[in-house]
Amino acid sequence: MKTIRLIAITVLAVTALTILGAHYLAPAGYEQQFRETPQAAPSMHHLLGTDELGRDRWARLLYGMRVSLTLAPLAALFTTALAGLVGGIAGYFGGWTERCCKLLIDLFLSVPWLFLLITVRAVLPLNVSPEASVTVTFALLGLLGWAASARVICAGAKDLMKSEFVWMARASGFSGLKLIRLHLMPNLRGALLAQFWISIPVFIIAEANLGALGLGVAEPLPSLGSLLRELQDSVMVRPEPWRLLPLAVLIVVISSFQVLLNKQEIRN
Amino acid sequence: MKRHYLVSTIVLLGAISTFAQSGGELRFCLRAEPKTFNPLLVEDEASETIRYLTGGVLVRVNRLTLKAEPELATSWKVSEGGKRIRFKLREGLKYSDGTPFAAEDVAYTMQQLMDPALHSSTGDAFRSAEGKLTTNVVSAKEIEIDFPAPVANLVNLFDTVAILSAKSPQKEMAALGPFYVAERKAGSYLLLKRNPYYWKKDAAGKQLPYLDSIRLDIEQNPEIEAMRYKRGEVQLINTVSPAIFEKLSADNASVRDAGASTDTEQLWFNQVPGAPLPVYKKSWFASTNFRRAISEAINRNDLARIVYRGHAVPAIGIISPSNKFWFNSDLKPHAYDTADALRRLQQDGFHLQGETLKDKAGNAVEFSIATNAGNRARESMATMIQQDLKKIGIKVNVVTLDFNSLLERMTQSYNYEACLLGFQNVELDPNSQMAVWLSSADNHQWNPNQKSPATPWEAEIDKLMRAQAASGDEHKRKQYWDRVQQIAWEQEPFIYLINKDALVAIAPAVKNAEPSVFRPQTFWNVETLALAH
Amino acid sequence: MLRFWSGAVLRLLAVMLMASFAGAMLMRIAPGFSSDDQELNSGLSAQSIQAIRRAHLVDSDIPHFYGQYIASLVRGDLGTSRSLNQPVKELLRERLPVTMVNLAFALSVGWLLGLALAIAAQTWDIPALSFLANGLSGTFISIPAAALALVFLLLRWPPAFAAALLVFPKIYRYTQNLLQQSSEMPHVLTARAKGAGPWRILTWHVAPIAFPQIMALVGVSISIGIGVLLPIEVVSDVAGIGQLAWQAAQARDLPLLVNLTMVVTFVTVCATLISDAAQRGFKRSAA
Repeated sequence: MKTIRLIAITVLAVTALTILGAHYLAPAGYEQQFRETPQAAPSMHHLLGTDELGRDRWARLLYGMRVSLTLAPLAALFTTALAGLVGGIAGYFGGWTERCCKLLIDLFLSVPWLFLLITVRAVLPLNVSPEASVTVTFALLGLLGWAASARVICAGAKDLMKSEFVWMARASGFSGLKLIRLHLMPNLRGALLAQFWISIPVFIIAEANLGALGLGVAEPLPSLGSLLRELQDSVMVRPEPWRLLPLAVLIVVISSFQVLLNKQEIRN
Repeated sequence: MKRHYLVSTIVLLGAISTFAQSGGELRFCLRAEPKTFNPLLVEDEASETIRYLTGGVLVRVNRLTLKAEPELATSWKVSEGGKRIRFKLREGLKYSDGTPFAAEDVAYTMQQLMDPALHSSTGDAFRSAEGKLTTNVVSAKEIEIDFPAPVANLVNLFDTVAILSAKSPQKEMAALGPFYVAERKAGSYLLLKRNPYYWKKDAAGKQLPYLDSIRLDIEQNPEIEAMRYKRGEVQLINTVSPAIFEKLSADNASVRDAGASTDTEQLWFNQVPGAPLPVYKKSWFASTNFRRAISEAINRNDLARIVYRGHAVPAIGIISPSNKFWFNSDLKPHAYDTADALRRLQQDGFHLQGETLKDKAGNAVEFSIATNAGNRARESMATMIQQDLKKIGIKVNVVTLDFNSLLERMTQSYNYEACLLGFQNVELDPNSQMAVWLSSADNHQWNPNQKSPATPWEAEIDKLMRAQAASGDEHKRKQYWDRVQQIAWEQEPFIYLINKDALVAIAPAVKNAEPSVFRPQTFWNVETLALAH
Repeated sequence: MLRFWSGAVLRLLAVMLMASFAGAMLMRIAPGFSSDDQELNSGLSAQSIQAIRRAHLVDSDIPHFYGQYIASLVRGDLGTSRSLNQPVKELLRERLPVTMVNLAFALSVGWLLGLALAIAAQTWDIPALSFLANGLSGTFISIPAAALALVFLLLRWPPAFAAALLVFPKIYRYTQNLLQQSSEMPHVLTARAKGAGPWRILTWHVAPIAFPQIMALVGVSISIGIGVLLPIEVVSDVAGIGQLAWQAAQARDLPLLVNLTMVVTFVTVCATLISDAAQRGFKRSAA
C-alpha cells in the first residue's frame, strides 16, 4: 500500500508542478491556432497533436488542468463547508431546527437551478473575461452543490449526538463549540472528506455541462471540462487514444487524491 | 438546367423499370418530435418532413429543376397581375381513408389557411396586403382563388400547401400524399405506411410509391444517427455535419456533397439606437467603414477550410450562388485583406497603439460576439474570428448563450454587441426576404422595427423590396433584387461568412435517390425511392 | 407513527409546492421566457410574430398561473406542454416508466456492487481486493456521466448500466468509510479482542452502528441516481423524463417544467422519507 501512496504523491506533485509551470512546458499559447495543421496527429511539434482549430492539445491540456484543478477543489471545499455547517447544525440541535434544515435540503435538491445559472449569465456583462466567467461558475457550483452532502452529514451528526461518548462528554461538562470541535468534527471527518472528493469531479464535469448554457469557460480558455466536452462530439472517433488523455488525467488525479485522503483518514 | 432535367428523367425511368418491384421499409431519423400534424401549422423541420411525405399539394417544385410541376392540379393559370389563380384538378382521387377529393377541399384548405387567427407562416406567405381571400369553386374539378393583392411567386407557394379534406372524419390525418401516419410512439418513432389510394403511377403503370412504409426514428443526437447509419439501421441522413461527413467517408460509408446550399451563416453588429451600449460603441457599429473593415479582416477561406473541412464556400452576399436565377453574379467575394481593413479603420479615426486598436477618443476596440451555445461550428467560427481580429488589434470576447436568452437579447432587450447566427433560406424567391430587408420588419436584425429608415441605403432597399413585390415581371424583379444585393454587399449590415454545402448520406441500397441542395435533400422524390434487396 | 406519517405527507406537499413554484419563478426571471425561435422565421408576418409573443406572455404572471395550475391539478388536469403540443399527463405516462425502470436498475446494481465490495473489503483483509475495489470506484467516480454514456452507446450496452456504475462508487466509498469507522469503535475492538470472527463482528457489532447512516444513504442514492441518469438520458437519447426536462428547459415550457419539478421533488422527498422512516423503525426496534 505504501507504494500506491508514493505513486499518488508523485502524481499529485507532478500535477502541481505542471500546473504551475504550464507557461514554460507548453510549446505554444493555448489559444494559438496553427491553421495549416488542424487535427494533426502527435508529432515533435505537437506532443498530443492539434485540435479542430489547429491548437496544440498539450498546451490546452496543461492550461485546462490549471483552471479546473485549482477552481474545482476550492468550490468543493466551499460546498463541503456549507454542507458541514447545515448538516452539523441540523444534527446538533435536532428538533425543529433539524426539520427546517431538512426541508431546506429537500427544496435545494428539487428546484431546477438551471434557470438561476442562466439568469446569472444574463446579469454578467458580455465582455467579462473568460477567467472571471469560469470563477463565477465554480463559485455558483459551490454555492448550490451542498444539499446532498448536508443530508449525509446531518444523519451522521445526529447519530453521534446520541452516542455514548458524546453523552459522557456532555456529562463531564463539554458543550457548544468545544463539543463540536473535540467530538463531532473528528468523527464526521470521514464523511466530510468523502463528500469533498466526490464533489471535485462532479464540479469539473458540471462546469463543462454549463458550457451548453454559456456559462463556464469562454473561448479560447480551456478547462478540463471543455476538453471533455470535445469528446462528446466524437462518439464515432476512430481510435485516437491521445484524444482521451484529458479523461485519463482526470481519473488519475482524482484517484490519487482519494488514495492520499483515505490513508490520512485511516491514520487518524 | 433543362438538359440536367432531361438526363435525370431518363435515369429515373431506367431506374424505375429496374426497381419497380421492390417494396420494403425505408428508415431515417427525425431530429425532434413533430410539433404538429396539422399541415397548415407546420413551422418546425420534423413537422415539415411529415407534411412533405403525407401531404397532397396542387403543385410540387422539382428540387432539381426548381420548376413547378403538376400534382393534384393538372394545370393552372395566373391572371389579374398575380391576384388570381385558377387550378384544373385531377379527378377521381381519394384520401388515405377513402374520402373522395374535390374542389371544395381546396377551397376549405385555403379558407382555413388564410384565417388571420391561425398565424401560420405558410399562410402568411400569401398575405401581401390586408383583405379577405375569396375562393370560387367553378366545378368539381376547377377552382379559382382571388387574393386581395398580387402575390409574388404565387404558383411555387402552393408547394407547401397540403390540401386538407373538408369531409373526412380523420380530419388532417387523412392524407392525399404518398404516405399516411399509421403509428406513433411519442419520443420514439413514427411509422408511415403507403397510401393505398395514392394516385400517381410510374411510366410502367405501376402504382407509386414503391416503398411499403417509412419508419422515422426520433433521434436528437446526430452522432448516434451517424453511428446507426454506419450500422445500416437507417438509410438516409438529410443533413450531415462536416465532421461526421469526414468520419463517415473515411469509413467508406456512402456520403455525398450535393454542393453549396442556400443557407447562410452571418455576423452582424447591433445598430439599434436605443440599445443599452456605450455611445462610442454604437458609433463604431453604425459606421460602414468599421463593418467593412471587420469583414475584410475575417479569413473566410480558413472558416470554410477548417470549421467546415472544406464543405463550405466563402459567402458573397444575401444569396448563395447556388440560387442561380436570383444570385447577382456581378458580386465578387469579399477579399481577405488586413492592410485594407486597417486603412478603412484609419479613415474613421481608428489607430493602432502598440498592439491595440483605439478609436478617435482613445477607447480600446473590444466587443463581444454572441452565438448560440451547443453549435460547435458557430463557436469555432467565433473563435477563429477572435484570432483574425486580434491581428488588427481588436479584442473579441466569445459569448455562448442558450438560444432563448440570445433571442431575448436580439429581439427584446437589444443588449448585445455582435451576433453570429445562421439563417435557413428555404424559399428562393426574394419575396421571402421581405421580413428581413424591410427596415420596418421584425427580422431586420441589426435594427428591427424602424419607424422610418435610419439610413439612406435602408430607405433605398425598402423602395426596391416593395417594387419587386409589386411587380409581376420576373426580369424587373431580378433587377431590383440585384440592386438590393449590391447595397447589402457594400454596406454589410450582415457580414456573410460562408455558405454550407448540403451534405447527405444515402445508403447504396436506396435506389433512384437524387440528392438536391434544397430541402428535403434526400427524399424529395420519395415516391420513386426504392430499396434494393 | 400516525404523527410521523401525517407530518411526512405535509412535508412532501410543502416541498413539492415550494419547489415547483420556485422553479416557475426562476424560469420566469431567467432571460428568454417570452422568446420563441419562431420569431426568427422570416416567413411569418409581423402580426403572427406579435401573436406568438403574446401567447408566451399569457403565463407571465406566475402567481396567477400557479393558482390556475393547482386548481386544475386538483381536477387531475396537468395542463398542456407548450413546446410539444401534447397534454403533460400523456407525456408523463409515456416517459416516466422508462426513467423509473432505469433508475430501479441503476440503483439495485449500484447498491449490490457497492455493498458487496465494501463488505468484502472490510471482512477479508485482502490487499488485492481492496486495491481493486478502490481502483474501480476511483475510476468511475472521476468519469463524467455523459462520457460514460457515450462509451456505453458505442458498446451498445444499456445506458442504465452506465448509471449503475456511476452510483456504485458513492455507495462503496461511503459504506466502506462507515464500516471502517464503526469497526474502530471501542465495543467492536473489545469484541475482536475477545476473539469474535469477522462475520460476527460485522453483523452483530458493526452493521447496527452503520445501519442508520446507510439508510440515510438510500435516500441520497436515489437523488444521485436521478442526478446521473438524467444527463445519461439526454446523451443516449432515452425517451425518459431527463430528456423531457432538458427540452422543457430549453423551450421555456412552463407547464411541462412545473410538472416535472413536481415529479422529481416527489421522488426525492419520498426517498428521504423512506430513509427517515427506516431509521426510526430501526431505533424503535433497537430500543
